[in-house]
Amino acid sequence: MKESYVDLINIRRQVFAKIAKMAYEGADLEELEKASFEILPGEVATYRDSIFRERAIVEERLRLTMGLNARKPTEYYRVTDGISEVDVDENRFIEPLINVITFACEACPEKAFYVTDNCRKCLAHPCTNVCPTNAVSIGKKRAIIDQEKCIKCGRCRDTCPYSAIVKYDRPCAAACGVNAIESDYLGRAKINRDRCVSCGNCIIQCPYGAISDKSQIYQLIKSLKSNEHMYAIIAPSFLGQFGPLASPAQIFEGIKQLGFVDVVEVSLGADITTLKEAKEFLEKVPHEIPYMGTSCCNSWTIMVEKLFPDQYQYISDSASPMVETAKYIKKKDPKAKITFIGPCISKKLEALREDVKDYVHFVITFEELMGMFVAKGIELSEIEVSDEIQDASASGRGYAIAGGVAEAVKKTAAEIDPSREIKVEGVSTLQDCVKLMRLAKAGKKNGYLLEGMACAGGCIAGPGTLASLNRVRKAVLEFKNKSACNSPLENEIIDRELRRN
Amino acid sequence: MKIKVCVGSSCTLLGSMNILDQLDDLKEIIKEDAENYTDEELEVEAIKCLGFCKDTEEKVAPVVVIEGEPMYNATGQAVMEKIINKIRK
Repeated sequence: MKESYVDLINIRRQVFAKIAKMAYEGADLEELEKASFEILPGEVATYRDSIFRERAIVEERLRLTMGLNARKPTEYYRVTDGISEVDVDENRFIEPLINVITFACEACPEKAFYVTDNCRKCLAHPCTNVCPTNAVSIGKKRAIIDQEKCIKCGRCRDTCPYSAIVKYDRPCAAACGVNAIESDYLGRAKINRDRCVSCGNCIIQCPYGAISDKSQIYQLIKSLKSNEHMYAIIAPSFLGQFGPLASPAQIFEGIKQLGFVDVVEVSLGADITTLKEAKEFLEKVPHEIPYMGTSCCNSWTIMVEKLFPDQYQYISDSASPMVETAKYIKKKDPKAKITFIGPCISKKLEALREDVKDYVHFVITFEELMGMFVAKGIELSEIEVSDEIQDASASGRGYAIAGGVAEAVKKTAAEIDPSREIKVEGVSTLQDCVKLMRLAKAGKKNGYLLEGMACAGGCIAGPGTLASLNRVRKAVLEFKNKSACNSPLENEIIDRELRRN
Repeated sequence: MKIKVCVGSSCTLLGSMNILDQLDDLKEIIKEDAENYTDEELEVEAIKCLGFCKDTEEKVAPVVVIEGEPMYNATGQAVMEKIINKIRK
């Protein structure tokens, strides 16, 4: 989430609350035809050149939130076309997850260096002198960059004494760590599916809100109304997301009031993943595999699979905390239907995997959950609770912050086998993940445990968050300190067998 | 000066935590340029739902109350401007 994009965030969230309300009330879905009028009433445009275009874009958001595909602007569709297929109480998610709302995209020009009005055509003109391709000349009014010759090294910008040269890039493309943003015939963003890892960074960075993922809240709420075995599992970054007055226990109770029978911390699954990855590392590195990559961040593992297929075998076989937590619940209640609530949209894809789909049935974000609280009129800070939450060790709760996974595995491995010392390295942007994998592939990270996270700062910076990074980091650390145990080896909830050295 | 920011569900959904973050930042802005402001302290408080949104069909969230005076559909910039105008010398 980019907090300063206030208007965009508000439109997105109003759509979530609207769809959630319709689902809880069992409204006639024909009402979707006029829902954009309710969200954007009147005849004066607030956000764009025309209220009609604004509403058309909201209609695409309504469709994507229902789990439908965005419409092709070249063909006639009603807002509700295809609606009966998604008016069900099970997950009907279909790829692609990340969608460009084509007519919301303003076709920003691609990356270039520009000379602005600040240029004074100075006598020294260092911009021309430092250019390795001789692309900069002094024109009548200001310096001119020959875009054909320019190789975008940025030396002219760095040397200009008047800050007259700026780098310009499409925010979606600049945010994408795997160069998956291309252009269509009108210059609008188009996603290269072979490269996209569904991290969602383009969604949060686009200043026009032209990219959106799909939601499952409608089908989830229908399922909550009909199924009595609905469980929620909530990611370690949930702290502080739902307002400064909502305590962890109140958040858990609020989730139950939405229709779930129980809520479990995904940090419990993180503890299990830690134990498995620590043992796996001690067993396999360096004899069977040269290094090991963590398996928690789905976009990181997809990136390795797509861009470094021969290295994919070195990613840990241990399931992610989401899956381990779901397996824990499934063991206790075989009829359980499990919803993962987190900061992450990539998990929506992980849940489709063959080895995961029987455990995780729905995936929603914190933002979507907040829309459900509003739809149901739940005030978290007013709920009376007595229990405190104690599912996980401090180390499992630390998974939310970049570096937390590797630290947990390293510490636990040292407890299991004090004679071994594990070298760890962690990065937390997709750009850095790619760089790290290049080094690993070249054999420069042998013996290492590599932690890759697609979002800058870790899961606390995921696209589905509501609170700022600093706010959440503070709350996560506070909750970590309240944990009854430090190490997953001490977590009594986990099978004794797994905790044995 | 007492500033109350509603962090009930509707207000939180529509950005009251961002307003709180901006008010933290405003304190920094004032500190950097202290001589141009009165020394009145900003007492920012996150409060439970005030119920304004529940009494009406109109959109009101987020709600911020500055010295007893409520602001509806509050934005960070409008709230900060109002505060700064009250304390700038």
